[in-house]
Amino acid sequence: MNNDRRALLKTAAMAAAGSMVAGATLPVLQADQAVDGLPTGEGLEWNKAPCRFCGTGCHVQVGVEDGRVVAVAGDKAADVNKGLLCVKGYHVGSILYGKDRLTRPLLRKDGKLTEISWDEAIETIAQRIFDSPDTFAFYGSGQWTIPEGYAAQKFMKGGLSNNHIDPNARLCMASAVTGFLATYGVDEPAGCYQDLDECDVLITWGNNPAEMHPVLFSRVTDRRSRGEQVRIIDIGTRRTRTTDAANDYLEMKPHGDVAISLGILHLLIENDNYDKSFVEKHCNFRGDEADTPTLQGEPISEEEFRKRIAKYTPEHVEELSGVPADKIRMLADLFGQHDIRITSLWCMGMNQHTMGTAINSLVHGVHLLSGHFGRPGDAPTSLTGQPSACGTVREVGTLAHALPGGRVVTKPEHREQSEGFWNVREGSISEVPGYHTVKMFEQFTKPTAEGGDITTMFVQVTNPGQTLPNLNALFNDKQGLEDKFLIVSDVYPTATTALADLILPAAMWVEKNGMFGNSERRTQQWFKMVDPPGEARDDCWMTIAIAHKLFEMGHEGMKDKDGAFIFAVKDDAGQEIPVWEFDRYYDTNVDKHLFEEYRQFTTMKHKNLAPYEEYVKARGLRWPVVEQEDGSWRETRFRFSGFDDPFVKAGEEFEFYHSSSSDGRAQIWFHEYQPPPEMPDEEYPMWLCTGRVLEHWHTGTMTRRVSQLSRAMPTAYVEMHLEDAQAANIRQGEIVTIESRRGVCDLPVWIDGRGRPPRGTIFVPFFDETKLINNCTLEAYDPFSKQPDYKKCAARVVKKTTAKVPS
Amino acid sequence: MRPPSRFPALVTRLPKPEVEERPLAQPRSIGGIHIDPVPPTNLTGKPLARTIPVHRPPGAIDEFQFLAGCTRCGDCITACPYNAIVQAPDRLGAVAGTPVIDADTSACLMCEDFPCIASCEPGVLVDTIPPIMGTARITEHLCLAHHSTTCTVCSERCPVDDAIAVTDGKPVIKEDTCTGCGVCRYVCPAPENAILLMPAFSRPGLPNA
Repeated sequence: MNNDRRALLKTAAMAAAGSMVAGATLPVLQADQAVDGLPTGEGLEWNKAPCRFCGTGCHVQVGVEDGRVVAVAGDKAADVNKGLLCVKGYHVGSILYGKDRLTRPLLRKDGKLTEISWDEAIETIAQRIFDSPDTFAFYGSGQWTIPEGYAAQKFMKGGLSNNHIDPNARLCMASAVTGFLATYGVDEPAGCYQDLDECDVLITWGNNPAEMHPVLFSRVTDRRSRGEQVRIIDIGTRRTRTTDAANDYLEMKPHGDVAISLGILHLLIENDNYDKSFVEKHCNFRGDEADTPTLQGEPISEEEFRKRIAKYTPEHVEELSGVPADKIRMLADLFGQHDIRITSLWCMGMNQHTMGTAINSLVHGVHLLSGHFGRPGDAPTSLTGQPSACGTVREVGTLAHALPGGRVVTKPEHREQSEGFWNVREGSISEVPGYHTVKMFEQFTKPTAEGGDITTMFVQVTNPGQTLPNLNALFNDKQGLEDKFLIVSDVYPTATTALADLILPAAMWVEKNGMFGNSERRTQQWFKMVDPPGEARDDCWMTIAIAHKLFEMGHEGMKDKDGAFIFAVKDDAGQEIPVWEFDRYYDTNVDKHLFEEYRQFTTMKHKNLAPYEEYVKARGLRWPVVEQEDGSWRETRFRFSGFDDPFVKAGEEFEFYHSSSSDGRAQIWFHEYQPPPEMPDEEYPMWLCTGRVLEHWHTGTMTRRVSQLSRAMPTAYVEMHLEDAQAANIRQGEIVTIESRRGVCDLPVWIDGRGRPPRGTIFVPFFDETKLINNCTLEAYDPFSKQPDYKKCAARVVKKTTAKVPS
Repeated sequence: MRPPSRFPALVTRLPKPEVEERPLAQPRSIGGIHIDPVPPTNLTGKPLARTIPVHRPPGAIDEFQFLAGCTRCGDCITACPYNAIVQAPDRLGAVAGTPVIDADTSACLMCEDFPCIASCEPGVLVDTIPPIMGTARITEHLCLAHHSTTCTVCSERCPVDDAIAVTDGKPVIKEDTCTGCGVCRYVCPAPENAILLMPAFSRPGLPNA
């Protein structure tokens, strides 16, 4: 793009963004956000949007013609992906056009789904909430846009004084949150994707970015094709496509990661090659409290830390992890070299872990103790799997215990501040945390008479009927409970809508305005480009419409201190716009109103966001975004590093300004290794690990409706080692039954397939709603994050001819 | 950071929405006698020369002998467990009605026992010649793996051992091993299919046929 064109685009974008400020105009499609080199055509307009799928946050260019998405291309102007997409991303446009889109609200009457009007649907929901506000729960996800999550959060905690709101991100990254909080006192990675461009060593901890974050992984492998040396070390429980690209593959036993990180810490101390000056200036040591462990932990001396870590010798670690002692030494030697840059990546392998908080903290500890922190390329970085797990769940705080901007319901001053920003009555927000996901569904599927005190559940943008662990106990038990009412907003029929009492057809992706926040703290914005089909409507509108119905019914919580509706939006003349009527919803940009209100919350934890218009112009901005003297807004790539983070005291090299010890220091934790909650035994001799595949995103409700992706990966399967298969007389492709103590699942066998588990381990992806592996998984969870462990439980593989009939 | 790609960027074109077919208008008639004018003879629809190669099932003999011997009985079509064999459409003229494989709809999965060959009574599908239907080529500028992103579907699903190897993350087809079954073409998830499938131009004939 030449400079003239760039300047022209910038002016046009600003003019267009300016028109938004009035608030009363229809969103202007930002055709000028298009980039060069894309096909042109009569009536074809290109516009930017972040991809709908994972947490990488690639931008796509969306081509729209005659009110329909007709083309998709990578966005060359985006820093994250620079024009590249993964196989899913190239097909993201087709997810709008599956044949079985939900287009009308459906109410189950006498067991049959019957079309009803939106008015009846909203009234039905409002009446149930009005009758029993405390037994209502709201379950969302990291696919909520930022304004959607913010509206849900305000509706529940500010309006209903009910903290039973939790997201599926609880199943996905809650342990990363607690790891960051325990270590730095504030959530989210300090580094950014630039670390991948500058690291000398990349360690993937139970992580498979080649398939799950392929665009990020290509930032590393592309460097190799340019002749740069990048050493990739893959630590995992099975060989994957990432292993194919790795220089070293360290195969560990489940939970071995805890031992490996302890082993590295031990050797850094033992060999006396840790970064003494970094530790002295910027770190404290922490251990669990003896009686009730918390995320704060208790201070321990360096001496005490040395004493506790002493037993984790390479030989002992080899015993616990299965990784040879010399490989542990190799890792420790790498961390002991200060002149190289090391980036650690992790995702579900470390998060879906009953020691999730511990292993997250320990890996941060390895980077802190060795000083491999805060220089470009030196970073402990967790990746997210959902497009706005960070932006919505972690930043807006749509978790049972949280309030926006890093606040928590248990702190009086946080409640007070939130009540202030929301202008709701004092004491509106309850101090008692709501139910976390597993507990919420336990209480929903337990009969009311037996104490199941959640009776109405509203599920938006997620599919718990497929993703919850131990589905038979946590979801399927809902069936037949007359007084339990499940409301599901979705775009397609799913395993969750199968048990729904009321189904709401939702608008998705570019059928609505939205904002996401990706894995590197990048907040992204897009505009509605096409209309949703039939009567499908925005999730955010649903929340506001329900709230307004309650307001009309006289629910006190839906009024602010001045008696006004808590989601009131006024035009320039001070007139309220009835945004709860869907045909008036786009009279203004509700996203912008909600975002500007939410922005007030973001400064306390220095997660400062820029005004909405700045995001219209950009391909996302990484917070903290701070206004400069010249009025421009500057994003931050490296938090806590003096050279880049505006909140680090002048002259300091590093400052952990939200330190939980209030002394500007990060915490290096010691956690004792503990064995997994369920281990293979004689009855169930195999480790069962679950996860994802490249071609499908999460439960496949979108990607399985794209023919190219469905052809490329038509069915779930079970990966088995050849010798295990031979021992059981099982052939390639044969359908077998996977059994655990909780349930069964039939799957075809794939030997030496894409992933290659060692003997004694099987792997099953969870994307296929016709083969629900979560019937078998275990609901045991981390004590701090409450995130269940989907990566390990005991199972057996049974030949169909000898399988027992499922009970 | 990323070097300029040697290929133009990929653009996904979404298919046009499916429009429900309107029933054809009933022919007009007076007292049972059709009054619509008879359409002129369409001279452009003449049978095509048989030199245009078609994608035959495995074990098909030389095309000239095949056309002479095939009775269009459809037994191979019935025998195929994967519905991969279909009748050639009418537009193919002389070839119409004979068994062909359209990998875009359903590819040959290279059964070990070739039920199609076993079912062929006229003997135009035979197990005495190699079951080679054609060959696949990768169109690199369309292939996702050549655009820096992970994709290994064609090699994973290829039913022929070692016909597609992955080197540095990119698929390479061994042309002397490839049988042209078309599975790679069928499964390729690139925005525009990156597999070019070419039917065999000549196949061995039977002596004394």
